[in-house]
Amino acid sequence: MNDTASTAAPAGRIEIDARIFNPYSKDYIREPDPVWQTLIRDYPIAWHKDLQMWIVSTHELVDRMLKDNRFSPYFGHWEHAPPPKPEDQKNDFDKSYEVGFFAVPPKDHLRLRKLTMPAFSKPVMAKIDAKIRDLIVECFDSIGDAEEFDVYETLAAKIPVRAIARMVGVPTNMEDFFHDFAVNIIKATRINLGPKEREAAMQATLPGYAHFREMIAERRARPEGPGDDFFGSLISASDNGSQLTDYEILSVIFALITAGSDTATDLHTFLLQALLSHPDQLALLRQKPELMENAIIECLRWGSFGKMPFFRFATEDIEFAGQQIRKGQGIGVNIMAAWHDPAKWPEPTKLDITRRLDGNIVFGAGAHFCIGTYLVRVQGSLMLTEFMKRFPDATLADGDGRIDYEWTHHNARRINRLVVKTNVAPARKAA
Amino acid sequence: MSKWICVICGYIYDPAVGIPDAGIAAGTAFEDLPEDWICPECGSPKSAFEVYEA
Repeated sequence: MNDTASTAAPAGRIEIDARIFNPYSKDYIREPDPVWQTLIRDYPIAWHKDLQMWIVSTHELVDRMLKDNRFSPYFGHWEHAPPPKPEDQKNDFDKSYEVGFFAVPPKDHLRLRKLTMPAFSKPVMAKIDAKIRDLIVECFDSIGDAEEFDVYETLAAKIPVRAIARMVGVPTNMEDFFHDFAVNIIKATRINLGPKEREAAMQATLPGYAHFREMIAERRARPEGPGDDFFGSLISASDNGSQLTDYEILSVIFALITAGSDTATDLHTFLLQALLSHPDQLALLRQKPELMENAIIECLRWGSFGKMPFFRFATEDIEFAGQQIRKGQGIGVNIMAAWHDPAKWPEPTKLDITRRLDGNIVFGAGAHFCIGTYLVRVQGSLMLTEFMKRFPDATLADGDGRIDYEWTHHNARRINRLVVKTNVAPARKAA
Repeated sequence: MSKWICVICGYIYDPAVGIPDAGIAAGTAFEDLPEDWICPECGSPKSAFEVYEA
C-alpha cells in the first residue's frame, strides 16, 4: 500500500480503507464477489485511504469514466509521478512511453489508432491466426495421453506470450527474454508498486527496446520493403502522408504486450475453470460452437480475473458522481466489479454463455478500448476448440482442479495451478 | 452507400445490414445515424469512424 501521508478528509468525501477493499487479501483473491457487491452497493465511488486513490465500482460509473477523456491513463498525470526527465537523460522506455497510446492527447491518440489499424487488419490477422493455431496444437501435443495436466503450466504460461512473440517476429529461442520484457513493461508504471520497484522494472526493459529498435532499422533498410506482416504493416502504415516514428512503433509493441501477453495468461486458466466447473455450459458450447465468442466474453465477465483496478488520472479538477476529484489524483477504475454489477448483469455470479452481452465493458470502453481484443478472441477460441476436440470427457481434478493462486502477483488473481483430469486413458482402455 | 470502420476497435458499420437489434434499420446510411450515436463495440463517437475501403 502507498504510505503517502493522508490529511483530514475534505467535507463530503466518501472514504474506505483496506478493511472494505484489500486487493492483496487471500480471501479477496479466492472469492472477490462479496467485496465487489459491497463496493457496488455502498461505495460506488470512494476515496481509498490506504491505496491513496479513488475507487469507482459500478457499471454505470466505470463506463462513464472510461469514455471521459478528462481521465487519462497516462502515468505522467499522476500527482506522485516522478518529474519529467531532461531530454538528454531520457531512455528508450521514456521516449516510447511518452508518444504512445496511453500518453498522448485524444487527437494524437486518434491519429495513432488510424495508423495502427492496418496492422490489425483482417489479412494481417489471418496470417497470425495460422501461426497461433500451430502453436496451440503444439502445446496440446505436449500433453499426449497424460491422465492429468496443469492448465497453467501447459497452456496459459506458454500460449499468450508466444503468440505475441510470433506476431512481432521474435524467434523461439528468445521467448523467455521477450516474456521478461513484457512483465517489466507492465510493472514499470504500476502505481501500486513502489518507486524503486518501478525503476528496476523500467531499467530491465531497456535490452528489449534495443532489440526492437534494431529490428525496425533492419526492416526499414530492406530493399524489397518492410514486409506485409504485423511488424512490416506498422512500418509502412500511412495516413495522409503521416507515418509512425520508431518510438511510436515501439509504443504500439508496448501496448500490444500490455494488453495481450501477461494479461492473456489468465484468459486460458479462467476459461477452462469457468467451463469445467459448469459442465452444462461446456456441453452447450460443444453443441453450439457458434456461441464461442459470446462464451469467451461471458467467461471473462464471470471469472473477472483482475486483482487491481485499471488506473486513470484526473487531468483537471472534476466533480464526478457527487465527489470532488482533484487534478493529478489516481483513480482505480474497478472494471471487474462493474462486470458483476447486478444492475447491469442480473444474477452476476451465474455463468450463462447465451447471456445478452450488449454494452459489456469486458474489453474496456472508449478511446482506450483493448487493442488486443481480436487476438484474445482468436486465442481463446482456438484453445477451447482444440481442448474440446481432444478431451471431450475432461473434468477438474478433485473437483476444483487443486486450484492455487500466485498470491503476490502485482495485477491479477493469477491462477498458477489448475489440474485437469483428461479421462482419455480410461476411455481408451475401456474401448 | 459506404461501409464505415471504427478506428478504435475495428467495428465495421454496414448500412446494408444496419443494426436491427438496436433499432437501426437495414439501409440506414452512416451519415444518417444520430450525431450522438456511438460505436456498439467500444462506445467511441461517430468522429472515430472512417470510410472502410477494403
